[in-house]
Amino acid sequence: MRGGARRRFLRECRDHLTAAAAARGEAEAVRAFGDPAEIAAAFDAEMAARRGVRSTFLAVAGVLATGGSTLALIHSASAGATAPAPWAVVFFVAAQVAAVAAALALVQALVLRRASMAAADVALLARRNGCALLASGLAIFAAGAALPGQGSALLLLAGPALVCVALVAVLRARSLARRMPGGGAVAVRSPLADLRHLTGLAVPALGARRLLLLTTCIAAAAAFVRDRAEQATVGGAFVTAGIEATAVVVCFVALGRALGIWRSA
Amino acid sequence: MTTDLLRGHLDRLLLSVLAEAPGHGYELSRRLTKRSGGQLEAPEGSLYPALHRLERGRLVASAWDAGDGRRRRVYRLTASGRREVRRSRQEWRAFSSAVNRVLG
Repeated sequence: MRGGARRRFLRECRDHLTAAAAARGEAEAVRAFGDPAEIAAAFDAEMAARRGVRSTFLAVAGVLATGGSTLALIHSASAGATAPAPWAVVFFVAAQVAAVAAALALVQALVLRRASMAAADVALLARRNGCALLASGLAIFAAGAALPGQGSALLLLAGPALVCVALVAVLRARSLARRMPGGGAVAVRSPLADLRHLTGLAVPALGARRLLLLTTCIAAAAAFVRDRAEQATVGGAFVTAGIEATAVVVCFVALGRALGIWRSA
Repeated sequence: MTTDLLRGHLDRLLLSVLAEAPGHGYELSRRLTKRSGGQLEAPEGSLYPALHRLERGRLVASAWDAGDGRRRRVYRLTASGRREVRRSRQEWRAFSSAVNRVLG
């Protein structure tokens, strides 16, 4: 641990020991202070949690800013430009993965913002944030590759720049968490349980399979309704819904374990 | 009381002693020991990670103070911290009453 937080912590410990030694003698002051290794470990855990929460807020800001940059990019595309289907699929999937991973991280960070955080939870937070940032970067890259045009460099680069800053913060939190005992363990946190804790609402508890089924149905229905609202044919809307459902299942299987949604048997 | 038993309650105990008045870490540890009649003696160094955690949750705020000629970090409750103390007291009364009924 380096920097201002370390200096402040050491200063507080020194002040405490000085006052205690003056009142009770040095040997008693040191005994009452406790095991230095345990206290240092507790401080490391607190710093990791603090970095995890801060990097989450930064990551969410990065994802939102990249969303704004992506919208600016789409609006500045050449008139009549049409995105090739593969890039369009990559864009929609990456954008949704970014939104879901950022939402998972934000809910987890809000639930744990006042609590002790195990190293595995900080590592999970870092994975969720990292996934959100990488996916948002991929989304804007796909949009840029698919749609030629000209736009304001400031608007287009603001999002990716914030993503880079947030990624550094996430990597610092991850690095500290992995050095702590238990940092390599794979944590699983139910997003619905976190949501129930955060809102106090009676959010039902669902297992991974039922959660996947529910999410897939909602996503497919939303894709169908959106396509129909954009004057697509019923057949075309069904195809879009099928692609959406497939993407949800593939992402759930591929990323669910890393994002702490399910645990392998 | 064992350190393990105390550990799960350290945050609410610190908030409660801070509800009396702001204070620095050493002063808070003295207040904690005094108010518990000497029964609660957490390793004093463990107060600092707990205070930093409470500060992360915006339940306490801190600033350097040099009132008595020595520069010390003084902690005080925030408005959220005061609400948390009230909530925590109600929760503890209900919990301890239930445990008393079971243990007899």
